[in-house]
Amino acid sequence: MSFAEYLLRRLVLSGFVVFGVAFLIFLVSQVVPSDPASLYAGPRPTADQIEAARATLRLNDPIIVRFATFVSDMATGDFGISYRTRRAISQDLQVFLPATLELAFLSTLMALLIGVPLGVLAAARQGRAADRVLSFSSVAAVAMPTFFLAMILQAVFAQWLNVLPLSGRLSQQFALFDSFEQVTGFYTIDALLAGNIAGFFDAARHLILPALTLAAYPAGVAMRLTRSAMIDILSRRHITAARALGLSERKVLFGHALPNAMAPALTIVGLSFAFALTGAVLVEIIFAWPGLGRYIFEAVLSKDFPVIAATAFVVSLCYVLMNLAIDLIQALIDPRITVS
Amino acid sequence: MKRRHLFLNSIGGLLVSSALATGLLAPAEVSAQDLSVFTIASPAGFPDLDPATSFSNDGAVLANAYETLTRYIPALDGGEATVEPVLATEWSTSEDGLQWTFKLREGVTFSDGEALTAAAVKASIDRTIAIGGGAAFIWWPLDSIDTPDDTTVVMNLNTPQPMDVIAAAGFAAWIISPKAIDKDNAYFNAGNTAGTGPYNIERYDPGQRVILGRNENYWGGFNEGQFDKVVFEVVEDAVLLQSMIETGKADLTYNLPYENLDSLNAREEIEIVTNSSFQTLFGMYNVQKPPLDNAKVRQALSMAFPYDDVINAGTNGLGQRAMGVIPRGIWGHDAEAPVPSLDLEAASSMLKAAGVANLELTMTYGVGDTLQSLAGELWKANLATMGVTLNLQPMAWEAQWELGKSDPAAAQDIFVMYWWPTFITPYDYLFNLFHSEESPNFNLGYYANPAFDDKINAANELSGTDRGASVAGFIEGQRMVIDDAAAVYMLDLPNVHAVRSDIKGYVDNPAYGHVPFVYQMSR
Repeated sequence: MSFAEYLLRRLVLSGFVVFGVAFLIFLVSQVVPSDPASLYAGPRPTADQIEAARATLRLNDPIIVRFATFVSDMATGDFGISYRTRRAISQDLQVFLPATLELAFLSTLMALLIGVPLGVLAAARQGRAADRVLSFSSVAAVAMPTFFLAMILQAVFAQWLNVLPLSGRLSQQFALFDSFEQVTGFYTIDALLAGNIAGFFDAARHLILPALTLAAYPAGVAMRLTRSAMIDILSRRHITAARALGLSERKVLFGHALPNAMAPALTIVGLSFAFALTGAVLVEIIFAWPGLGRYIFEAVLSKDFPVIAATAFVVSLCYVLMNLAIDLIQALIDPRITVS
Repeated sequence: MKRRHLFLNSIGGLLVSSALATGLLAPAEVSAQDLSVFTIASPAGFPDLDPATSFSNDGAVLANAYETLTRYIPALDGGEATVEPVLATEWSTSEDGLQWTFKLREGVTFSDGEALTAAAVKASIDRTIAIGGGAAFIWWPLDSIDTPDDTTVVMNLNTPQPMDVIAAAGFAAWIISPKAIDKDNAYFNAGNTAGTGPYNIERYDPGQRVILGRNENYWGGFNEGQFDKVVFEVVEDAVLLQSMIETGKADLTYNLPYENLDSLNAREEIEIVTNSSFQTLFGMYNVQKPPLDNAKVRQALSMAFPYDDVINAGTNGLGQRAMGVIPRGIWGHDAEAPVPSLDLEAASSMLKAAGVANLELTMTYGVGDTLQSLAGELWKANLATMGVTLNLQPMAWEAQWELGKSDPAAAQDIFVMYWWPTFITPYDYLFNLFHSEESPNFNLGYYANPAFDDKINAANELSGTDRGASVAGFIEGQRMVIDDAAAVYMLDLPNVHAVRSDIKGYVDNPAYGHVPFVYQMSR
């Protein structure tokens, strides 16, 4: 199978997954025991207000009509109005999704940056002190509860050393006096687009602690997976051959062994990226990060169903895209994958 | 080979970016500006900034950007509550109470430069009624509004009502600029304001922060020391809230754990301001379901409720004994109400006299609400000594409410919830919670008593013309539901705010949720 065929096949499969998810979301919305009209009508509605809401939401339409409307709305990105925030969900997503994506991208980068090289190092020093220390650290990173790590990082870097901000995306001083236009919703990018270097650094400083907290788990896992894959690869004959040819150890490790050992680490880091989109609730609450996790968490608590549906849809889309990207990257790194 | 280079380069790139990250540890410098900022660490976001439909925590923001015709000033120390002029300077009512005339303050302009006129007031109220969302129902007595001249607003009613108090409501009573009348909900929720208040929204980052700046057109003007900017920082984590007030990153916050208040109060730079709130906690008995249809049984259960223990353990002693459902500071509060006290022996013998044994009851309450859960647990322990089993059923509000609104015969036995008023009248509590309803909405104990209905309706009719007689009627009405034990009246909640000590002029007005009127404050 050529790469193009592989790509096409993956795209078609992804399309089925997304449609299936949309169908499931609608199905679940029909069996949830709550009345959307009374939710939509506000915190303390009168009976008349609830009836008016029922008409606005067209809840009296036949179910098949509602499913058709639902699918066409989802396809056009019209997710409706949130019961809780009273804003168009697409408008809310424009705020919350980039905030979370920015965090997820950085934490994924950190996980790779920390986990993979340390995994290589541990494999190269197998059985020695460095390997033991690193293995212990990776277990600690995986085992440490997120909220606990977040609080430790806050206490150390924000409260004792006072070198990083405690919470939020941008310091109040910046928001007040030296703000920049929001174009992409990624504050670091927007600051750069506006040529506001100080703003870029301020936004970046706010990213570090929550991103590090989120990166701990995938970094720990990536390190262990890289280590074991590397140990396996390093015992192969082509590595012995490379060494015999007199290649430097750095070239052997990073040039010949690592590309073959990256696949498992990439997969787990990719999945943890998708997890960070909605699973970062605790981190977002502790760091007062206005992200998708908090948005969906509050929506679930208040049964804000249009938001739950929209975010489930968007996140599954992100999941599918991320999986696709990982598979394609793996196919590029390791051509055997397209063949199989 | 190419692939390897690519890979090595990307590793190199990552190392460079990590070096950059290390450099980030130096705090960024912001151009210093000599502006005074008041920061509120708000434990909740602001769901709806449309003044017509806002019905939540958003009042805290709106009350600094918009104004109402009048403002309710409660008398928390037992004196007489008053209604103060804001956009209206004086008002009067016709003898039959069916017509209210408000004289508007002259020389008031909206932040967009439009003048405040009677037509603007009429248009604002009409917009709120037409949209019909949020608390728009507060205007139900209104038939029409006349504007005989630019500074006179005449409200024609279909039933006599205290329009001075209704016009002071913290929701649905804001006056907006004529230019904003045809704007939709999305316009306001994008962070646009069009009020006469002292501040305007300058920047709105949903879920994160709202920044208000001065409205230079403000009719009251600004004196030295008043704040230039007001910032609401949305912070849901209680630990972070506390850390912000401790470090001075916030000037005001609330929703801190009760058990931390003493240690905070001991700090010189923080002041804990406590007063009663207008929020009360109670459990409505399902009076349609035997044996709870027997008032004697309900009275016995209420006598087993550990009132003081719940106040002490649940609110660190800051809550107050509920005297019915109408809290202190609201006109019509009954300081002498004959509420039951804890007396397990008497309760037990009353239950026996009623011929009830092996009673099993289900109490529904809000999931995650620690105060309600504690009240349930302590009550359950007391009831167990009398042979009554109380099953505690925590539920999400929507589910709890759905069950409550279903068939009373299949619904819960005790429905626990909070109530607070939309505008300040005892009728709001008594009507919503105990007035007969064809299909239940908030009367979730299904209490139906025509004598009670007549009593509070009559008192309400008098509320616009003879407040003394009205108060007497409401007190009599409330005593009926106390004698009937329609509910167990658990406690009135305290309002607790942590304020930095260098802030002057902070006063909590429980009629307006957790609204800081920043214009009255300075540092």
